[in-house]
Amino acid sequence: MENLEKEQIVQDLLPQEFGKQGKIWVACLIALCLIGFAAYCHQLSKGLVVTAMRDYASWGIYISNFVFFVAISLVGSLITAVLRLTDVHWSTPLTRIAEIIAVSAITFASIIIVVDMGRPDRFYNLFLHGRLQSPIVWDVIVITTYFFISLLLLYFPLLPDLKIMLKYKERTSKWMYKLYSFLGSFWKDKPEQFKITDKAINILSITIIPVAFSIHTVTSWLFATTYRPGWDSTNFGAYFISGAFLVGSGGVLVAMYVFRSHYNLKKYITYDHFDKMGKVVVMLALLYLYFNVNEFLVPAFKMKKPEEEHLRGLFTGEFAPIFWFAITTSMLLPILILVTKKGRRPFPAFIAGILVVIGSWFKRYIIVTPTLLHPFLPMRDVPANYHHYFPTWEEWAICIGSLAGALLVITFFARIFPIIPIHETITETEEHEHDKK
Amino acid sequence: MNTIKNKYIGVILLSFFSIVSFAQDAKNDLMLSMGYYNNNNLTQYLVAHAKTKIDGKFQMVPDVTIKFFINNDSAATNLLGTAVTNDKGDAVLMMPPSAKAEWMKSVKHTFAIVSTPTKLYDEAKGTVDVSKAKLKIDTTDDKKIIVTLLELKDTAWVPVKGVDLKVAIKRLDGDLNVNETATFTTDSTGTITAEFKRDSLPGDKDGNLTLIAKVEDNDIYGNLTAEKVVKWGSKFEYVSQFDKRTLFARRGHSPWWLELLAYTIVVSVWSVLIYLIGQIRKIKKLGV
Repeated sequence: MENLEKEQIVQDLLPQEFGKQGKIWVACLIALCLIGFAAYCHQLSKGLVVTAMRDYASWGIYISNFVFFVAISLVGSLITAVLRLTDVHWSTPLTRIAEIIAVSAITFASIIIVVDMGRPDRFYNLFLHGRLQSPIVWDVIVITTYFFISLLLLYFPLLPDLKIMLKYKERTSKWMYKLYSFLGSFWKDKPEQFKITDKAINILSITIIPVAFSIHTVTSWLFATTYRPGWDSTNFGAYFISGAFLVGSGGVLVAMYVFRSHYNLKKYITYDHFDKMGKVVVMLALLYLYFNVNEFLVPAFKMKKPEEEHLRGLFTGEFAPIFWFAITTSMLLPILILVTKKGRRPFPAFIAGILVVIGSWFKRYIIVTPTLLHPFLPMRDVPANYHHYFPTWEEWAICIGSLAGALLVITFFARIFPIIPIHETITETEEHEHDKK
Repeated sequence: MNTIKNKYIGVILLSFFSIVSFAQDAKNDLMLSMGYYNNNNLTQYLVAHAKTKIDGKFQMVPDVTIKFFINNDSAATNLLGTAVTNDKGDAVLMMPPSAKAEWMKSVKHTFAIVSTPTKLYDEAKGTVDVSKAKLKIDTTDDKKIIVTLLELKDTAWVPVKGVDLKVAIKRLDGDLNVNETATFTTDSTGTITAEFKRDSLPGDKDGNLTLIAKVEDNDIYGNLTAEKVVKWGSKFEYVSQFDKRTLFARRGHSPWWLELLAYTIVVSVWSVLIYLIGQIRKIKKLGV
């Protein structure tokens, strides 16, 4: 009986080939990536003048996208590390989803920052002439570190699963079999190997938390260490981290629903997972709302002249539609949906997750651009279009292409590797059965 | 019938003249003014200023070409030169050496300016009368500043009584009065005496300060200045921060505490990662 169950779990969780829907999905993502790449080639040949970024709005949706990617990548540390260290077991099926979101997001965060550079061929100067005092250098260091930790955190729990996949040669293609062999042919299920892996995962779980906090705190300092209305805040580190956990958890909700429906994983990603993850999202949305109140109420109460112009622009001015859209979709509506038990069922939770992700992208735009358009000194003697910012088609194409690229990485990963850890699921099921007896 | 016809003709003519008069009104009046400057009895120059009134407000007029003349604006030989007004409506012309002969002819001169007509402005003119004068500045050991205003009468320099002047110290963004008195008036000897009350004011590395005496916008003499360097300031030694380790320093000059903290964190975290990569090798060996 136990063997049958084990066999069933393996069969359910082994990577599956793309169906018709999957192929269309991949084709669409590749098409979007190619359009983005073509737009980038155009930008490379003509220069950043093809963007709408000018003297004042020198950071546009590329940087918003960068902050969004860094934010969403933090979910890896939340689900894998925080919940693992606090001995929360219900999140086991979600750990790999969270880690692959983290790896793909941090990869594209690095790519999009290079896209924002007018002369990417001079990127090496950052290493040759970078100043240790600059938050930009800190950002490069922590992003690289976080990427490697996330990769290791993805790899160590994968080792036992690789052995299982190697057993099922008939279910894999030749190149995939070669890949599995390269990555994990040495795994023999020896107790010493498990001991080392468990220890390594624990070390990584402890290490990733301060690094994850650093990565987004440093990203927030790129703004907060600059003396500008809207950025001149001591609240920014905590504000960014709470927002990052929220968007990451929203992303996990969406991924849970998609993988559950597409790969028929209803037995593994259950209503209970949506219920618990929904509660986590509500808590994080309330936390982020709290930091938003702090971020806007305090300067609005004092209404210092330069802040006033910026805040009026957000609350009732040029940016008000995007501002209120972001607040409503990233926090208020998800709270309203997920606060009820019915709202935490898979489909409503999926909708709430989508709202969180979309709203959070626009929230990053609201953090980056309006401040740049409200400098301390009045804008004078500049062309009229310098006073406003609306991205060009190249910027949209590149950003959408990068988002599609991140989804493509997740999609291919789910095609090649089990998106729910097979070995851990078997172990937990066996432990559960054992406890019952 | 004739009366009605005449009325129509009258209305048409009135309309026509109205249009013509509006067309003529399209050009604004250009107002020119001029000042004469003699800096430290060394540099002489003229500054023309062009402005106009639009919607009841004065506005500076840039890009107006102005000709400068000495004594007579109709003689080409008296032309000193031309200059174009900047964004502030000012056109500056240094007195050319070629004007020396004309300048030496008399103790009084009239300078004239004439603007070149443009699509927006008709020709405008302005003049200023200047009597030759100079300022002398001297100091005593007990830090008193003596300034004398002299005017050239025939061939002799004579003192001028009752002219307001300022005595100050030249600073980077403007002049600082030497004491609480803003303006002094010359006595019968053409002299004023000002006490220097700015002790311990930072000077250059030798403690040098530049004193300046000024007559400003005087109807007869124009704008005159005289300067003198004195060692009455405190010595200012510039200490370069360029090589100091600060948060705002250049590359490789970050504070020690930051370097220690940052490198300790980076080395610690990456040591852990390298250790874990070593653990993968260990797992690999166990599986062989």
